[in-house]
Amino acid sequence: MTLSPDDARTLAATRRHFFRDCGVGVGAMALSALLNRDAHAQPAARRDPLAPKAPHYAPKAKAVIFLFMAGAPSQLELFEPKPELNRLNGQVVPTSFTEGKRFAFIKGDARLLGSRRTFARAGQCGMDISELYPRHREIADELCWLRGMKTDVFNHGPAKCFVNTGSPQFGRPRMGSWLTYGLGSESDSRPGVVVLQSGPRGPRGGAALYSSGFLPSTYQGVPFLRGPSPILDLAPPPGYDTRRQGEFTDAVRDLNRHRRDATGDPEIDTRIAAYEMAYRMQTAAPELMDLSKETRRTLEMYGAEPGRPSFAANCLLARRLVERGVRFIQLYHTDWDHHGGSLDLTRPLDQICRETDGPCAALVKDLKQRGMLDDTLVVWGGEFGRTPMGENRETIGRDHHIDAYTMWLAGGGVKRGFLYGRSDEIGYNVVENPVHVHDLQATILHLMGMDHTKLTYRFQGRDYRLTDVHGNIVRDILA
Amino acid sequence: MPLPSLSRLAPAVLLLTPAVARAEPVDFARDVRPLLSNACFKCHGPASQMGKVRLDTREGAVKSGAIVPGRPDKSTLVERICEPDDEARMPPPEAGKRLTPAQIQTLKQWIAEGAEYTPHWAFGRVTRPQVPNTKHQTRNTIDQFVFARLEKAGLTPSAEADKSTLIRRVTLDLTGLLPTPAEVDAFLRDESPDAYEKLVDRLLASPHYGERQARHWLDLARYADSNGYTIDGPRSIWPYRDWVIRALNNDLPFDQFTTQQLAGDLLPGATADQKVATGFHRNTSFNEEGGTDAEQFRVERTVDRTNTTGAVWLGLTVGCAQCHTHKYDPITAHDYYRLYAFFDSCDEPTMPLGGPPNLEATIAKLGHMEAWIQKNGGSREDIDLVKVEIKRAQGKLTTTLVMRERAATRVTHVQIRGDFLRKGDVVQPGYPSALGTTPESKKRLTRLDLARWMVSRDNPLTARVTVNREWQKFFGRGIVETENDFGMQGNLPTHPDLLDWLAVEFMEGHGWSMKKLHRQIVTSAAYRQASTHRADLTAQDPRNLLLGRQTRLRLEAEVIRDAALTASGKLNTKIGGPGVYPPQPKEVFAFTQSQRNWPESKGPDRFRRGVYTYIWRQSQHPLLTTFDGADAQTACTRRNRSNTPLQALHLANDPVFVELATELGRRIEKSGGPDDAAKVRFAFRACFARDPDTGEAARLLAYLEAQRRTNPTTAWPATARVLMNLDEFITRE
Repeated sequence: MTLSPDDARTLAATRRHFFRDCGVGVGAMALSALLNRDAHAQPAARRDPLAPKAPHYAPKAKAVIFLFMAGAPSQLELFEPKPELNRLNGQVVPTSFTEGKRFAFIKGDARLLGSRRTFARAGQCGMDISELYPRHREIADELCWLRGMKTDVFNHGPAKCFVNTGSPQFGRPRMGSWLTYGLGSESDSRPGVVVLQSGPRGPRGGAALYSSGFLPSTYQGVPFLRGPSPILDLAPPPGYDTRRQGEFTDAVRDLNRHRRDATGDPEIDTRIAAYEMAYRMQTAAPELMDLSKETRRTLEMYGAEPGRPSFAANCLLARRLVERGVRFIQLYHTDWDHHGGSLDLTRPLDQICRETDGPCAALVKDLKQRGMLDDTLVVWGGEFGRTPMGENRETIGRDHHIDAYTMWLAGGGVKRGFLYGRSDEIGYNVVENPVHVHDLQATILHLMGMDHTKLTYRFQGRDYRLTDVHGNIVRDILA
Repeated sequence: MPLPSLSRLAPAVLLLTPAVARAEPVDFARDVRPLLSNACFKCHGPASQMGKVRLDTREGAVKSGAIVPGRPDKSTLVERICEPDDEARMPPPEAGKRLTPAQIQTLKQWIAEGAEYTPHWAFGRVTRPQVPNTKHQTRNTIDQFVFARLEKAGLTPSAEADKSTLIRRVTLDLTGLLPTPAEVDAFLRDESPDAYEKLVDRLLASPHYGERQARHWLDLARYADSNGYTIDGPRSIWPYRDWVIRALNNDLPFDQFTTQQLAGDLLPGATADQKVATGFHRNTSFNEEGGTDAEQFRVERTVDRTNTTGAVWLGLTVGCAQCHTHKYDPITAHDYYRLYAFFDSCDEPTMPLGGPPNLEATIAKLGHMEAWIQKNGGSREDIDLVKVEIKRAQGKLTTTLVMRERAATRVTHVQIRGDFLRKGDVVQPGYPSALGTTPESKKRLTRLDLARWMVSRDNPLTARVTVNREWQKFFGRGIVETENDFGMQGNLPTHPDLLDWLAVEFMEGHGWSMKKLHRQIVTSAAYRQASTHRADLTAQDPRNLLLGRQTRLRLEAEVIRDAALTASGKLNTKIGGPGVYPPQPKEVFAFTQSQRNWPESKGPDRFRRGVYTYIWRQSQHPLLTTFDGADAQTACTRRNRSNTPLQALHLANDPVFVELATELGRRIEKSGGPDDAAKVRFAFRACFARDPDTGEAARLLAYLEAQRRTNPTTAWPATARVLMNLDEFITRE
């Protein structure tokens, strides 16, 4: 052994900073030499940094489908009947509620706005569900209802970022990227994180909604595009059929191997593997996207039509992605931002509820009948809720509200038909069992088998995590 | 692959440390501080002193009895870390950082030896170290440091890379382009002893040097052509980008480069150019979303400026102190807001460039008019009218975003737990107390004072941090691997004396000249080594920390584009100007709130270098997102180098790369020589600056033949596509 004491210590001292390089620019030989601890952060036998890794403890859920209602749905029109609010309709909100609070658009003299929707109790659990979401009544007993959600930020961009990354500032990794970083991907022909989009406009946020932030782009989400070729650059150039594309891939592989032998650099093996996976993605994607193989009954249940992009089609696609080993699927549907004016709480709300109600219910039922609901966690909700006060606009609408709103979870290790949390008589504040966004994030990671305090990544001198320095697992809702 | 030999090393590393710790005195900085910092400082450090125990200063540790110098048996620290009861033992289980027996032994030995605290290596003044001797052949002083270190480890440096590798490597590193086949031929023919040095001087003088180096700096500046957040509207700040390119091409010394960017507007008789330079801190995001609190986002921009300044010049994570005194480094919340105060009293104007002399005044007057109307409850129509006038006035000429000191300064408060609504003590601008003394003076310090302090000879960090980041460009890793953290939690330098020698040379020898520093690095024998893996190095230094060879590095996103442009012969060499729009799929905007304008560039602008691609913060060109481009949100001090299937899809199928491969194919057919064999050689020269070996030539010719059978007219374009997809094409060897 010729290594001097100094060298040995330098190696040891720099070791901890090595983790962030996993599979980034360092070959597997170096990896196997230095990685012995922190099992969750190191690739297993496969050289691929997306190779499955051991969770911190046995997971309840293998996959997450996050139905992101972009723009923030009104809990007061959907799930939270408030007779007292209806009684006080038109009155100025008592200052005891608004003191020290900040809002996006409304001012101090805002008047309370009762809901014009009718509600009924659903299922054994007795959850209140309005006329807008009739199909949800059929699945009420499958869901775990979080009626005391809270968040920190009241503008769309920062708030969406907060739900996804635990921080209102852009640049941190998404929850899905954290999960793939921690767990790897089960699928060898598909990425670990897929992002789908539907609705009249993009969900505000752009690449930040699927980027891996400061994690290597290995862990980046893949946005699926409309149309038969869902991934950018998936289709070979014109003139390349399967045979010709195969010849291309073979030639690239052979010449890369040649170079690997000349340089001895194992990173070239990773490149070769990446080309092989890309080729597999090319052949697997058309089958994945082809909804025509689904039975008519299934298509009708979702309300999906093959070849027609919609929220319903995305829900069905989400199920197909889970079947194929994708860990985290996020569906954005716009636009729930019902301030009043052209986007108000009357017909525009009716329409978006029609677009989302049936497909959500179908997804939960479909997962259940296929035996997939037990290990798939479905999350429904927006970036915040909406105020009990109306806005001073020509038609009825509500402003952004961060102090009390509603989300639901299903499957994947949470209680079924369970109501958790309660807001006050006008729906302003949470009075019982609040769940903060960081708590929800901690719980989702927990259900996936990851300890949110241990899933860390060093960046700019600090160990970052999804929940920053906050978050408590909501044990009351665990099945 | 010889995996068994590696498993021999891992235990060796673990076993050597305690064994050696007994053999020679413990070094506080190297052996003890990282240990205490990791396991103890969070609760017994600068920010928190649980149980009134503080371990980050000797005074604190001795006072509480935690440490009795010379007497480990009397020190409560030792007692607590050796508690047999698992629950009572420090650090507590929930801290998750239990000490190993070897670490405990190190602490005991250190206390027995007197428990001396030495200052953190990076916070002491930079002094010129002794240059060590080595038996290995050297080319300049850098090699003496690197090779002496290898020698000490019983390792030998690698031989010089062949000339083909050298010209491709140094051309990519200095200019970000591939050498042309003609340049390769000329260099291979030049047998003079200083052929390489002549090549380096040619590259340093090339206008493309500034483009390549500017992109690194723009990463730090979080440069983009849009405002960010969700609306992400366009902005005009490309004159700042061009200023950086010009400054680097002109080799503006780094001290002035710093001063002009942090405080160009405050220089006596500031020129327009010096004001443009202040655009550095106008590259913050700007939230245009409806219903936002303007002051909240002004504070966020000021926080960003403070944190970016800390990261770029000091290599410190000052941002931690925004909410609380730093857990590890001696930066208090007061220090943080003193630094913040330098940026707290700025206006953020738009500066017209050129045009009639009174235009700026006109725009300013209109701006005031708009504010007045708003304040006095004027109608929306009136405001819109004024806005149109401002737009019209600005539209007459190019504008850029600059910083300007306010006439009336704002009062800066410590923000309690980082909440701008919770105001604490009032603070004045000042330097972090652990790093420099703020002069006692009635005059309020300005950004100009800050800039001059940053580049003063006494500042312990700026030169070290800067040369380290420059080193990283040429070796793929800094001498301090944590290039963004020179604090207690950062790595120790692998070559501490080399780092300090480079820093002193940079300040004194080179007069802060970046080109001289770069020349020194790339002409060293260490840089010129082959990158081929060696079994002995792989076994003993698998991460190549001691630099027994060069490293193969995947090219950055923009350079991948530039390499494809050079190989195809289509590169447009125009320097500067507004951002351009190379083709991209329209689906890029599927996830943004607004469909952004992407008027695809036709004609020569289609083939501009990657640095000129228009950057929408929230929907960057897929090339940039796929190949780890900077996210333009916070200062990016080092790019990731991932290796993913999406990259394979992009190179293989993206219309831009297919188009450029087709052009390369045509170029090979046209200028590659009389027969297929000559054409293959030409193609290898164009892409890899080398000749193929027989195996490679045979495989490529076989592919060419197969393609001819399918479609003779596209056989060469198809073959060129293979070359542009090889690992070597996107790698600097």
